[in-house]
Amino acid sequence: MRKNKAMIFWFCMPALLSLVLMFVYPVCRTVLMSFFRVESVTATMADWSFFGFGNYSKIFGSTSFMISMKNMLLIWIVGGVFTLALAMLMAVTVTSGIRGKKFFRAAIYMPNIISAVALATMWIQYIFNYDYGMLNTIVQFLGGDKIKWLGTDLKFWAMTGSFIFGSVGYYMLIYISGIEGIPQDLYEAATIDGAGKVHQFTHITLPLLKGVLKTSVTFWSINTTTFFLWTKMFSPIDTESSTIVPVIYLYDMVFGGKGITQRDAGAGAAVGVVLTLIIIAVYLVTERLFKGNDLEY
Amino acid sequence: MNKINWKKEARLLPGYLIVGIWVLFTAVMLFWILGASLSTSREIFSGQIFKFESGFHFENYATAWKAQNVSVFFANSLLYSVISCVGVLAISAPAAYVLSRWEFTGGKALRIGLVIAMSVPVIMVIMPIYSLSVQWGIKGRVLLVILYIMLRVPYTTIYLLDFFSTLSRTYEEAAYLDGCSGPKTFLKIMLPLVQPAIITVTIFNFMSVWNEFFMALIFTSSESMAPVGVGLLNIINSMKYTGQYGGMFAAVIIVFLPTFLLYIFMSEKIIAGVTGGGVKG
Repeated sequence: MRKNKAMIFWFCMPALLSLVLMFVYPVCRTVLMSFFRVESVTATMADWSFFGFGNYSKIFGSTSFMISMKNMLLIWIVGGVFTLALAMLMAVTVTSGIRGKKFFRAAIYMPNIISAVALATMWIQYIFNYDYGMLNTIVQFLGGDKIKWLGTDLKFWAMTGSFIFGSVGYYMLIYISGIEGIPQDLYEAATIDGAGKVHQFTHITLPLLKGVLKTSVTFWSINTTTFFLWTKMFSPIDTESSTIVPVIYLYDMVFGGKGITQRDAGAGAAVGVVLTLIIIAVYLVTERLFKGNDLEY
Repeated sequence: MNKINWKKEARLLPGYLIVGIWVLFTAVMLFWILGASLSTSREIFSGQIFKFESGFHFENYATAWKAQNVSVFFANSLLYSVISCVGVLAISAPAAYVLSRWEFTGGKALRIGLVIAMSVPVIMVIMPIYSLSVQWGIKGRVLLVILYIMLRVPYTTIYLLDFFSTLSRTYEEAAYLDGCSGPKTFLKIMLPLVQPAIITVTIFNFMSVWNEFFMALIFTSSESMAPVGVGLLNIINSMKYTGQYGGMFAAVIIVFLPTFLLYIFMSEKIIAGVTGGGVKG
């Protein structure tokens, strides 16, 4: 085929331009900005003054940032264990030969395609509502006292719980596609050899899903480090220490929020860099952990 | 239809219970919201929503649509989603085609750059973009649409690239022998051939822009340009003063409906698309 240089150039140009404008330049500038004292996000580079690691020591010395990191870590670990385990349970169940497989798969994935704002509203205004909510109706039916699900003590877990519900379907789909790639005769052979369902799961399914598990852990890490919307829904007006996460801290720092007397875009940039480094670190660690003897089948 | 093997079904009972309870919970939640959207605040608080003693309150939808500005948010979201979907295709499809067909200087770098860009968190780009937009005086609706288009370019290009590379080169060779120019071959022959991929990727772009929240929150300076997500948040925040619970639930249903309906009709295509592109161990 003839190579048409002009065509190649003009066909690639817009995509290259968006890549540079939307990603390459901003990422470089954010990294650079994190080493400068920058007050307003709109300040031109001429107004920046070099600050070394000053922004980093500022955020790591800030109580709200450390609380937000602790919350994020909790969501990552506790939310991650529940989400991925539930997703695996659903994936194994859906592919176990039950009837209505397509229906169940579609219904469990459904929360992922609707507006997360709408989904969070359903949870906050119905499931967790103190007066008429689903959970308190069940609690009262069982003879218990109404619980303040959205009070300071439980709010974080209420938020994490509803976030888990919204996430399971996506990871289930990833696992299903992995499970369906495993040849059926492996299971048939195992059944003939007398291996039970649980045994088959731990000895065939899990080892062969290594690659898919790796992907899911990386995606989960990206999802939790960029966690923002659910906090904004559960604490819409004022940032609260029970639900604060790093991106909320960044948002308040850069664009203003309650309790922020002086905006600090440099510190915001430092938060962004820290979160990105965490994602890269998790990616490298999982890559390492799940590496080695990739099973062939 | 196979004959029901009761022994097999009984063995699967725990499985039915697990997915059944999960789906039942989801269904109860949706039906309750639907019921509440047709009830009065008093009925909601006294737990009487499914009796509809005072009739169906369709006026909740009218309140939400007009008084609470949902019509504005809805129109904005529709505008943002549709224009972004078209714009991103205009940028991504040509690039994906060229990248899949020829080796050239910088081609590989562009491809790798696009793949990496897919997992760059928005927080890493939002601040410089904010200052650039102020510097260049771009704002409001135009700014949001441009950002949404550029945000979706990496994913769309990589997705289409995979499809273009599965197409045989004989089409182009035949077109070339017939004297058809490169760009014309792309438009008239190659683009129609990847139509299924274009549909899938457009569904994903549509849903992603429709549900986008973070950038919308930062870049919409007034309520008149807010998309549904930000608009719904505003409605909820002002609920304390209006006390319009029925209207709020109606707003939730209106916001929820478009992507939900799309999903009802295209769930197979959407589900295949989720795991089809990129997600491979």
